[in-house]
Amino acid sequence: MKLRHTLLAAISLAFAASAAHAEIKVGVVVSATGPAASLGIPERNTVALLPTTIGGEPVRYIVLDDASDTTTAVKNARKLVAEDKVDVLIGSTTSPASLAMIDVAAETSTPMISLAASARIVSPMDDKKRWIFKTPQNDQQMASAIVEHMTANNVKRVSFIGFANAYGEGWFEQFKKQAEEKGVELVANERFNPADTSVTGQALKLMAAKPDAVFIAGSGTPSALPQKTLRERGYKGPIYQTHGVANNDFLRICGKDCEGTLLPVGPVQMARSLDDSHPVKASALAYVEKYEAVHGEGSVSSFGAYAWDAGVLLEAAAPVALQVAKPGSAEFRSALRDALEGVKEVAGATGIYTMSADDHLGLDERSRVMIEIRNGTWSLLK
Amino acid sequence: MDMSIALILGQDGITNGAIYALLALALVLVFAVTRVIFIQQGEFVAYGALTLAMMQSGATPATVWLLVAMGGLVTAFDGLKALKAGQMQRAGMVAGWNLAYPLALVAVLSALPVNELPLVLQVVLTLAIVVPMGPMMYRLMYQPIASAPVLILLIVSVALHIAMVGLGLLFFGAEGHRTPAFSELSFDLGPLMVTGQTIWVLVVSVLLIVALYQFFERTLYGKALRATAINRVGAQLMGISPALAGKLTFFLAAFIGALSGVLIAPITTIYYDTGFLIGLKGFVAAIIGGLASYPIAALGAIAVGLLEAFASFWASAYKEVIVFTLIIPVLLWRSLTSHHVEEEE
Amino acid sequence: MRTDRLVLGAFLALLLMVPAILSPYYVTLLNYIGLYAMVALGLVLLTGVGGLTSFGQAAFVGLGAYTTAALTTATDLPAWLAWVGASPWFTLVAGLLITAAVAVLLGSLTLKLSGHFLPLGTIAWGISLYFLFGTMQSLGGHTGITGIPPIELFGWTLDGGGEIFYLIWAFLLLGMLTTHNLLDSREGRAIRALKGGRVMAEAMGVDTGRARMIIFVIAALLACASGWLYAHMQRFVNPTPFGVHIGIEYLFMAVVGGAGYVWGAIVGAGVITVLKQWLQDWLPSLLGASGNFEMIVFGILMVLVLHRAREGLWPILKKLVPMRTIHKTIDAQAEPLPRRTLPAPGTLILEAKDVTRRFGGLVANNNMSLEVKAGEILALIGPNGAGKSTMFNQISGVDTPTSGEVLFLGKPVAGRDSREIARMGMSRTFQHVKLLPTMSVLENVAIGAHLRSHKGVLSSAWRLDRAEEARILKEAAHQIERVGLKDHMFDEAGSLALGQQRILEIARALCADPCLLLLDEPAAGLRYKEKQALAELLKRLRSEGMATLIVEHDMDFVMNLVDRVVVMEFGQKIAEGLPEEVQQNPAVLEAYLGGVE
Repeated sequence: MKLRHTLLAAISLAFAASAAHAEIKVGVVVSATGPAASLGIPERNTVALLPTTIGGEPVRYIVLDDASDTTTAVKNARKLVAEDKVDVLIGSTTSPASLAMIDVAAETSTPMISLAASARIVSPMDDKKRWIFKTPQNDQQMASAIVEHMTANNVKRVSFIGFANAYGEGWFEQFKKQAEEKGVELVANERFNPADTSVTGQALKLMAAKPDAVFIAGSGTPSALPQKTLRERGYKGPIYQTHGVANNDFLRICGKDCEGTLLPVGPVQMARSLDDSHPVKASALAYVEKYEAVHGEGSVSSFGAYAWDAGVLLEAAAPVALQVAKPGSAEFRSALRDALEGVKEVAGATGIYTMSADDHLGLDERSRVMIEIRNGTWSLLK
Repeated sequence: MDMSIALILGQDGITNGAIYALLALALVLVFAVTRVIFIQQGEFVAYGALTLAMMQSGATPATVWLLVAMGGLVTAFDGLKALKAGQMQRAGMVAGWNLAYPLALVAVLSALPVNELPLVLQVVLTLAIVVPMGPMMYRLMYQPIASAPVLILLIVSVALHIAMVGLGLLFFGAEGHRTPAFSELSFDLGPLMVTGQTIWVLVVSVLLIVALYQFFERTLYGKALRATAINRVGAQLMGISPALAGKLTFFLAAFIGALSGVLIAPITTIYYDTGFLIGLKGFVAAIIGGLASYPIAALGAIAVGLLEAFASFWASAYKEVIVFTLIIPVLLWRSLTSHHVEEEE
Repeated sequence: MRTDRLVLGAFLALLLMVPAILSPYYVTLLNYIGLYAMVALGLVLLTGVGGLTSFGQAAFVGLGAYTTAALTTATDLPAWLAWVGASPWFTLVAGLLITAAVAVLLGSLTLKLSGHFLPLGTIAWGISLYFLFGTMQSLGGHTGITGIPPIELFGWTLDGGGEIFYLIWAFLLLGMLTTHNLLDSREGRAIRALKGGRVMAEAMGVDTGRARMIIFVIAALLACASGWLYAHMQRFVNPTPFGVHIGIEYLFMAVVGGAGYVWGAIVGAGVITVLKQWLQDWLPSLLGASGNFEMIVFGILMVLVLHRAREGLWPILKKLVPMRTIHKTIDAQAEPLPRRTLPAPGTLILEAKDVTRRFGGLVANNNMSLEVKAGEILALIGPNGAGKSTMFNQISGVDTPTSGEVLFLGKPVAGRDSREIARMGMSRTFQHVKLLPTMSVLENVAIGAHLRSHKGVLSSAWRLDRAEEARILKEAAHQIERVGLKDHMFDEAGSLALGQQRILEIARALCADPCLLLLDEPAAGLRYKEKQALAELLKRLRSEGMATLIVEHDMDFVMNLVDRVVVMEFGQKIAEGLPEEVQQNPAVLEAYLGGVE
């Protein structure tokens, strides 16, 4: 055991030493298995489409799966940093895993671009979070889109049902805060597990509160179950979902029960329907075309776009850092961090990124649009 | 909460409970005959449902390849052994069931436009693919260690559960699937809305329980299984092969699992990893029956279904906490009232 | 120098050097292995040794992690509590206390569960606690708690992988040493008897319910300590690492490493952690796609391991390093254990009065009466099915008479548990031998002295029990010599011939220093010489004032040995008296030889 460890370590050290030519190494941690797999898989697929040379230097991506578990995410991050000596980390898919990886990134002075939604990952800014960036819109940006739509459409009472995990929790916190500010009353608050086979109890409770609308905060196909149950039980009012459901599988599962569903999405989802003047249209389309060429028509989702944008940010920042230092060095990582912080008006698939010392997300309201499911497909709300 | 809500929750609980009951029966059966705690029962549910869904989407279900692989391994082990012993006929039998049959299925699936077949045929094909995996699994994974302590058998089950979930993700992807209902029938009964599928679930559950009862009471194989469950050594002395009993049990368990999956696929969304929690709840019901009593296990299953339905109404965030905490006193009661085994292995 | 110490020394030296030689990532992996091994160690004690399967250990890890995470990061603790959050070392104590309390509560509920109810009970509270961590907003909910401070030790901040490495492995080795010491002690023998020997242990005065609770709490505390270290290493906690799936994985590690062995914990944790890591590295290059194959290959590999090595990997590894087995030394100078004063010869020791036992319509014992006096050997004989075993059960307190009573030293036996009866001075052997086959003869016999010694768990764990242990072993060795098994003292009990195993049971019963010896068919399976030696021994005991009741088939053996005989048939006494008288009794002759028709 021991001996083998030592040997392996020696070999990998030797290997690392010989591979010290200028190659930008990107360590990616995604949740390709486990409960968050439906988010992580498009992200992993997208990594394969990211640029293989930046600023004339070859880029190597090392992708590891954390099985939706924080311990494994940290273990993987440590491996990527210590063994593979990556210059930048991308990941992970879920907020808890990303939060857990912050310490690794900060401790080893490696910039990290998270693919998870929680605002807590990059704020409040502190010594550790200096190293952390993220590409997905904060929950609050998405939530505000929903709340705005609600107030505009005279929805006063809302029943909330969310995943009994970090996703549902993050949404509830943001939604509650903003709904209270805007005078929308939360009349019911329920939870369900993605693996539940029945949510009848919750659905009855949601309906018993006589809401003007129901908001379901879940991701992927599991989010269809409450909606189907509500419609089955005769609920006729409007239903809001989150951008987490915006993929073809959701439409397939939900079928006619999802007609009229309202949700905010990143522009990438609607790339083709956007006005040509929309600042994100071109950059979003670039991604959509690339992804769908490999994985089929309509296969694109917001989550893959987050990984894409991590690549976009790198493409913008790495050339700047390359002028300062060679990849594989602490100076390069530090320069890369500074360059990422200095990114201005870079168009990704999700929105326009403008970072600053306090804002390591850099997205504004151009990063989301409200859409409706009409005739079994997504259509933009004007 | 008014009466109509209580009724709806009751209906929901009983529908789920019926599925748990089926699984609980299979678990009791498997444990009684082979001492294996069949954690993978849930995966058979998922495999059944998702194989059907895959067929309906027009693709060749990937599970059939798993069947071919497993059958190939069985043939390699048993067929060669029979060949060496000069038992040509036996070798032929082994190869026929384990090699020719899966390959024939592959041929049928690729020749027929499976997504256009009537639902009944699709269900039959699904069962034909998934169910034989049960006995093959017993042959490959459990038969070599049939005499091991319960703990070892349990750990093997857990390992297989992990492998099957991994395969499930590979075969079916991370997103869920639903299949169309067996019948579009739907009518109101007071505050209740009864759908055809609910009736299907209940009727098939009851029929299956009755059929199992008949099987155990009337048929030779059924009696042999009962004998093995009561006294393994005694049954062996009477000429009942434990290997045969094991395979037969796993066949039944896989059948019940896959059929349950096919039944609930139109009611709820099934994922590659749905099986674990469903199986666990069936397991809870089985334990309430002391892993020995079929009727109590069935009642326990209904109780678990009801508890779950009402807990999800009262405090959905704490649903699992409530269901699993309330089980402890039940276990305690069962443990104190059931026949106490002094020495545990 | 002994090889085992040499190997251990080399292992420790390697460990010390690890952060210097290995790359930081492998140090990190070893940190995780250490943390997992600590939990697996608890399972070795609980499952491998004690026979209690638990899927819920991850929840105890969570308790340790969440206690320290919540207390060290909280900003608004009430004043009386605030000082706890000041240092992780205080929160460790708090975590251990909370875990012990929760473990006692859960244990008192679930340890009563028999058989397969127990594993399910552990799954149940494992899932409950997991969801509780997630739903309680004060614990960070599902998203988790960030910003947990690193541990400080003598002003040294353990914030890097290399630094906390020493702390983790110090904890683990301390845990292993404690467990190892505990198992090799009075309490340890009681714990080792839990798996497959509870009835015997109770008859020797062991409180097996307490022993189960002890290992349950120890396993929980080990898990809690692991959780505490985890929280300060990761500096982040959320519920996912404490779910039931991880609980199952811990059990996996224990079983794969070798659930019956203290070192199995490290082997299991190491193999599984490293294997997963390697699979993740290698499979994508072998199979082309990344991500999904690990679980499949991992599951199948585990099945293969269990097919090939049911006892786990440690026994196989152990064979690679040839080590001489070290026998226990018997300290001849040790002070003898205290003895009870035997009643004067002729005192009435045991009295059965009109004992009747009905099972439904069947009368197994009908108005049976008998007496045994100090310094006397009484034989209870009768043909098969005469009701001797039932009578034996009434006398030893295993069963309660339907009517009538059994008095031992003037006090009724009914209503007392085996332990109390043993404490009063009755000691027994079993018709179907009950011993612990993998333990040495010496240790098996030493269980008999359980009630004559007192050192508890803490003194055992930290070796404060050695003086008493030496006295126990001396006594056990003495009894082994006395019954003539001296040559087999260090053999595994299971390797003895059946007759010798029966003799071992007598030595164990004698080790309890009884005033009444109940022997259930002691001569069965003995050779002629051995029978003679046994008869000599029993005669010598008689001369010392021991009262003995023998249930026996072997006429020759009985008739040449005992003072009086009671003959049973169809649940009734048909004759009583001196051996010679009974042999002439026509009813007895008929019962044994069949009527002359």
